Amino acid sequence: MLNKQLDLLVALQDLDIMIKDIEDVKQIGFQVKGRKTLQEARDALVKKINKPFLYNYEKLKTRYKRSIVPVKDDICLGCFMRIPTVLFTRGRSDKEVISCEGCGRILYWYE
Amino acid sequence: MQVVWGRHGSSRVERKGYVMEGKDLLEFFDKALFISNLKAKTKEKSFNELAKLFVKTKFIRKKDIVLEMLLKREKLGSTGIGKGVAIPHGRTTAAMDVKIAFGKSEEGIDFNSVDKKPVHLVFMVIAPTEDEDNVYLSVLGKLVEIVNDRKNRNKLLKSQTYEEFISVFDGAN
Repeated sequence: MLNKQLDLLVALQDLDIMIKDIEDVKQIGFQVKGRKTLQEARDALVKKINKPFLYNYEKLKTRYKRSIVPVKDDICLGCFMRIPTVLFTRGRSDKEVISCEGCGRILYWYE
Repeated sequence: MQVVWGRHGSSRVERKGYVMEGKDLLEFFDKALFISNLKAKTKEKSFNELAKLFVKTKFIRKKDIVLEMLLKREKLGSTGIGKGVAIPHGRTTAAMDVKIAFGKSEEGIDFNSVDKKPVHLVFMVIAPTEDEDNVYLSVLGKLVEIVNDRKNRNKLLKSQTYEEFISVFDGAN
């Protein structure tokens, strides 16, 4: 069960990508029939996310292909700017939603 | 990469002018992502068992996000593609590379597959949200093509070791 705001935002992005990928996956031959269910799942997920975070996520989505990007080796993989080391422990705990100071994208610590 | 898709068994994957072969899938497998005998008796538990391997091998940090994504994917329709095979799959922000975990169930698991038959071969494919040349879809297509061949399925069912398992892909076109 996901409850942290960052986890919920990541789940939302994964879901948005899944909705976008539906046609490609269908063409490979997979069964895809519950598109409406997926939209309902998105609506339910959105309700759990704090409005400012959700607003930011949706706004970033209009500007970038992905609103949430991974951090690897202290580098934001959205704009390749180095993230201050002081944020590493905070970011990795997933307790807060941290944005890249360079591009504004939401950061997800991969490692 | 150009991907030419078809129904089961007819997908053809081309990367910069050459057709993807079975052995090209080898880079996405890992000995640490292989289970010769799944303990799980249900679809959800098999997801959990395989997702744990991704965490153990540090391909992902937390399994819950991946499980959430995979279970949502199942709501679209079962990834049990029939003939005893399931390929749960999806892209996730939590992954950095395309990877395939494999588990074999002697007993069989109910996946509510298209043909309603129990699943013995489970391939869990996870991919990052963005990947160069859209390799993820090519991998899925090639995997479906290979497991659609009865000879390959039989070899996979008989495989006990990781080496026997990958030899099926090494030998496939």
